[in-house]
Amino acid sequence: MKKIFALLLTFAMVLSVAMMPAMAEEAKGADVKGTGVELTVYTNSGSSGRAEWLTERAAQDGYKLTIVEEGAGAVQQRLINEGDATPCDVVFGLNAIIWNDLISRGIIEAIDAPSWAEEVTAGLNDPNGYYYAIVKQAILLAYDTNQVSPEEAPTDWPDLWEKEEFWGKYESQIKLTGGTTRNVLAGILTRYVDENGELGISDEGWAAIEAFFAHGTPVEDGVDLYAQIANPDSPVLMGQMWSSGADQYDETYGTKTGYAVPEIGIPYAVEGVALVSTSKNKEEAKRFIEWFGSAQIQGEWSEEFKTMPANELAADKAPASQVEMCSIPAQDIDWALVAANIDAWCEKIMLEYMQ
Amino acid sequence: MQKLRIRLARMTPGQIALTAVMAVVFTWFVLALLVLPLINLLRTVFFTETGFSFETFEKLLKSKKAMNSLKNSFILAPTLSVTVGFVGISLVLITEYFDIKGAKILRLGYLTTLIYGGVTLVSGYKFIYGSNGILTTALRQVFPDMDINWFQGYWAVLFVMTFSCTSNHMIFLRNAMRSVDFQTVEAARNMGAGQGYILRRVVLPVLLPSLFAVTILTFITGLCAMSAPMLVGGTGFQTINPMIHDFANMTTTSAKSLAAVLSLVLGLASMILLAIMTAIERRGHYMSVSKVKTKITKQKIANPVVNVLVHIYAYVLFVIYVIPVVMIVLFSFSDTQHIQMRSLDFRTFSLENYRTLLSSVSAYKPFLTSIIYSVTAAVVVGLMVVLACRFIQKRRDSISANVLEYSLMLPWLLPTTMIALSLMLAFNQPRWYMFNRPLIGTLILLLFGYVIIKLPFTMRMTKAAFFSLDNALEDASRNMGAGEFYTFRRVIFPVILPTVMAIAALNFNGLLIDYDMSAFLYHPTTPTLGVKIKSLTEDMGTNPNGMALTFVYAVLMMIISAVVLYLVYGRGGKDNIKE
Repeated sequence: MKKIFALLLTFAMVLSVAMMPAMAEEAKGADVKGTGVELTVYTNSGSSGRAEWLTERAAQDGYKLTIVEEGAGAVQQRLINEGDATPCDVVFGLNAIIWNDLISRGIIEAIDAPSWAEEVTAGLNDPNGYYYAIVKQAILLAYDTNQVSPEEAPTDWPDLWEKEEFWGKYESQIKLTGGTTRNVLAGILTRYVDENGELGISDEGWAAIEAFFAHGTPVEDGVDLYAQIANPDSPVLMGQMWSSGADQYDETYGTKTGYAVPEIGIPYAVEGVALVSTSKNKEEAKRFIEWFGSAQIQGEWSEEFKTMPANELAADKAPASQVEMCSIPAQDIDWALVAANIDAWCEKIMLEYMQ
Repeated sequence: MQKLRIRLARMTPGQIALTAVMAVVFTWFVLALLVLPLINLLRTVFFTETGFSFETFEKLLKSKKAMNSLKNSFILAPTLSVTVGFVGISLVLITEYFDIKGAKILRLGYLTTLIYGGVTLVSGYKFIYGSNGILTTALRQVFPDMDINWFQGYWAVLFVMTFSCTSNHMIFLRNAMRSVDFQTVEAARNMGAGQGYILRRVVLPVLLPSLFAVTILTFITGLCAMSAPMLVGGTGFQTINPMIHDFANMTTTSAKSLAAVLSLVLGLASMILLAIMTAIERRGHYMSVSKVKTKITKQKIANPVVNVLVHIYAYVLFVIYVIPVVMIVLFSFSDTQHIQMRSLDFRTFSLENYRTLLSSVSAYKPFLTSIIYSVTAAVVVGLMVVLACRFIQKRRDSISANVLEYSLMLPWLLPTTMIALSLMLAFNQPRWYMFNRPLIGTLILLLFGYVIIKLPFTMRMTKAAFFSLDNALEDASRNMGAGEFYTFRRVIFPVILPTVMAIAALNFNGLLIDYDMSAFLYHPTTPTLGVKIKSLTEDMGTNPNGMALTFVYAVLMMIISAVVLYLVYGRGGKDNIKE
């Protein structure tokens, strides 16, 4: 009896495995269900209940996720240092700089475009299919409109060090490992690309960066930008901020964020999703990516966490403020160039220009 | 060879086997986990395809900031050694030697540095002296024109660190004070010595070995200062360790070699100091000669004016020590906005933070993880070091003893971040010396890391305990026919046990909030407390209450630390040493 049962069970399993690809081909997006194979997912976008929410939501559709959540730089470090031994199958979050670094190190693998790839705003997905965009974060030069009127406010980053009235009134960073900071630096330095310059940047560019750091008020470690802005005793009135953070901070500190709208555009931190090349569960990982980036799931994510989805079919689920911030045109930045040089740039800044 | 043969002939087969096993285990540990990963790391950072590269040195020499920070670190370390030494000795005298009213309460206040540290501690100070701090606000009422950022720069760093780095004095120097023989003090007095003279010529010599040991620790703490310069150093007084930390966290080899060079400078300075101190220590053993020790009776200060002044001094210190802790506890009931602005407002108080933290499962699992790791690591380190010290004590001045001692001190050469990195790079692939298994993604890797970073401190302090052992005890045991193992187990171990336990407790508390090692090596599914807290602080912008939660964590950690210390140290603290 037992034997027959075992035989039947084996048969059923073989059948289900055999049928799986066939099913995947038919189903699309959120209809692609998981098979229960365990996936390990690394992300920097797992805080404030995101990891818990995703684990639970994915479980409803048959995915078994273990989410490891830490800072963007830490995720990058971890993947590099763990090498082939990494248990990670899928990475999501991060930004274009890190994605390009991971590509150049062979850590992530190009995959066939998921069905939702065409629904994403043009130019956000990796052209070679290594990562696909899920969330857009506008990187802003933000201030509090209660204290600075839009007329008085800077219109672009160079105003900060070129116009004396802003000296000492903006925050300059003391750590250059953060994703937002690096996007800001990339946005400034790539305006001065010069093949013959030091590290590919012209002297003019380095002079600009020097002035940027020289005229800023350095971050007080452990105190965030908006606490400084809200504090009447602090000279700081403006600084860098990512779009979904602006809403959250406004809520906490009672500020009303205004932001510069430069003609050249602004950098966007594109959160994406990608397959890790050493993954042992590639089929399941690809199914998960197909499911996760779909308009349905991204829309639910946006509603829950008030972020701006890259998937245009889900854009109506995002809060109006996010839609507005993310409507600023994107600055034209060569992310591969940035990825190849950002560490060297930061190193130079830390050694020579930081206060 | 001859010596070895004689030694072997004296041992039983069981002892030979035990010694052999230990020799193999220690050799493997030192090579596989300390030496080879270190060499591997140095090779990666210093040798490019074209050979050894000097570029890193040039970059650093050219950098004004790096040179300034380095200079500041080397200013801070020696001055801190002096100020902490002064305050540390006075704490011990106040609580153990002189007859001060309310000494028990004072002692509790002075012990607060044992239960918290790092960013939390410095934040506590900023709540008082910072631009929005209570003291600054009060002073501003009197002097409206004062600079609210007065608490910044070298003096602020020195101030905070002077009062926060006395933990080792409170434990090890206090232990030493308890071994001062009262009969000698009495004898000196009968011969007409004054209080000052007795203090200088009778008490201080007994304290010296421990004072040496804790001074080395203070010096290293000063060199590697991180939180205090970052939070209160301002632009004028930044030290080198934050820079090392940032470079080590960048992904390029060139940044890592910058981190490596800078940390080797600090490491070598520590090693030189260590060697000098060891040499001085060898020249003379400052030990109490008395065989039958009598417990000290507290001395009343004879001069009434001095007596009043010392009392005032003692209570001022108490206030300086206690208020930051009180502030942190108070702020843990407040909300993120007020914590960030460092303004205390009782209307914002609620139990909400505690409720949030305690009601979420994922919030307390890191506690459990960290407690298990920390206990295991503290026990393993303790055992290893006791065995090693016993070996070093018996084979004093032999090459093997020296090699073992300095090998276990190796982790002092590099900061935690770099050690973590070396382990990660070494074991992200199978290595023959690790039985051909990669350690990435295993739970044991972090344990190895924890054990390694606690080796030097444990080694230094345990050795001090072994060296202050009275040899007569061991001789007596031998003469009565006890075997070596029996002597160790029943005579030596009980005597050093209090110190070993105290060290283990300190190690446990230190590891409980570790971030630097954990960040690199933790197992993806089991984050430690330090990692969790860090993710909360970086989470602002997405989690409005992140900052408040870190204070709740800090308070819970203080409670755990205090309980551990009490269990290990406080309860039996009255008299662990059977006299």
